[in-house]
Amino acid sequence: MIPTDAVVAKVDALPTLPAAVSRLAALHGSETTSASDFEDAIKPDPALTANLLKMANSAYFGLRREVDSVGQAVTVLGTKRVWEAAVTAGFSKTIPDRIPGYEVDSAVFWKHCIAVAILSERLSSQMELRTPKLTFTAGLLHDIGKLAIGSFLTVEATLVLSRMRTDEMDFVAAEREVLGTDHAEVGATVADKWGLPEAIGVGARWHHCPDEVPNEEDQVLVDLVHVADALAHTLGYGADVGELARTLDQRAADRLELTVDCLELVACNTLEEIQQVSEVFAPSGGAGK
Amino acid sequence: MTATPAAAVGARQPTKQLVVDISEIKVCADPDTTIVTYALGSCIAVMVYDPVRQAAGMIHYLLPLSKASPAKAAQTPAMFADTGVPLLFESMYKLSCQKKDLIVKVAGGGALYDDKGTFNIGKRNYTVLRKLLWKNNVIIKREDVGGTKSRTVRMHVGSGRVTVHSHGEEMEL
Repeated sequence: MIPTDAVVAKVDALPTLPAAVSRLAALHGSETTSASDFEDAIKPDPALTANLLKMANSAYFGLRREVDSVGQAVTVLGTKRVWEAAVTAGFSKTIPDRIPGYEVDSAVFWKHCIAVAILSERLSSQMELRTPKLTFTAGLLHDIGKLAIGSFLTVEATLVLSRMRTDEMDFVAAEREVLGTDHAEVGATVADKWGLPEAIGVGARWHHCPDEVPNEEDQVLVDLVHVADALAHTLGYGADVGELARTLDQRAADRLELTVDCLELVACNTLEEIQQVSEVFAPSGGAGK
Repeated sequence: MTATPAAAVGARQPTKQLVVDISEIKVCADPDTTIVTYALGSCIAVMVYDPVRQAAGMIHYLLPLSKASPAKAAQTPAMFADTGVPLLFESMYKLSCQKKDLIVKVAGGGALYDDKGTFNIGKRNYTVLRKLLWKNNVIIKREDVGGTKSRTVRMHVGSGRVTVHSHGEEMEL
């Protein structure tokens, strides 16, 4: 079991998202935000500006003409997409080369995060749902708890693996039994610490137990992240020590009225996009699928 | 169809590596090359080896049937079993291989814990493959499919030796 204060210390020690990303979170939520507000928030951070433009000009967005300023990016892509590009750019820089305990290299972890972000959104469109506002970002950041508790898992890895492989226990249940917490619970703490919108923390907290979401208004978002995470693991995006030992909550799939045809169509239509976006900021470590 | 620990076989480390990404086919007749594909979840890798020609090929397909998206199948046939697997065999024939000499091995097709099976793409991938090979009189010599495993597969072109890495262990197939 990890003492709570040890978890808090790890969360405090994590590299945070650039301050500009938090400022954008507030602006993105406001109806009166203009392109120049966005530009002003990002301008003080040249690295973030450069990375955001790199993302905006990537094949994923398929712009006909290259954008060379944040203001232009907002005009062409809109505040929602620019905020997503900024979070993606900022988040990519917080991932270490290897996440201990989960036995996963940064490139593989990164591709999993990107896959869940894109799959969450595409599943929602395919099911013709009204996509919750922060779906892409909640998908992107659903596993941030792993960054904080990976090192604890290194020490306890044998126990977790034995529960999983000998007793056929689900990975998150094994994590919880051995550590006394899990990456979802810790993820919500990280989201709070990073000053992210509440929905991101909610997505991280409940993505493995969507049926326990306290507020009904978060249900669709959490269900989407849950099934996108399941689909990403199924397709092999982000194989870590847990491999496929994850449980699909059928109630989430039923609420979304997911069908086999929908899953397969989304799987084949997103393959290229997932590849394109993950390559924009491909971290250095490991061979990723 | 039991696998034996790789260590017992005495692996030789070849120098060149050919990576097969998801929805790709690679064939090779260089005996010093190893063909590899990473992190097969529900996807399936079909490995074909010709000991006469010393050639090998691998597909890593995503989904069972191209009817899911005929447009994608036209663009990327190796995404689907029904359009990709025939292409793998054709690619081997282009290397002067003959069907009677080909040894076929299969890995992947894993699944999450999913009671209703909606997400069991792995099982559907495997079922369609079995039917396809059976109709074409092709026998699967060895296979490691299903379960909650994520698999990385390597095939040495010179020897046809196939290893599967999952659950922290490497086994020969």
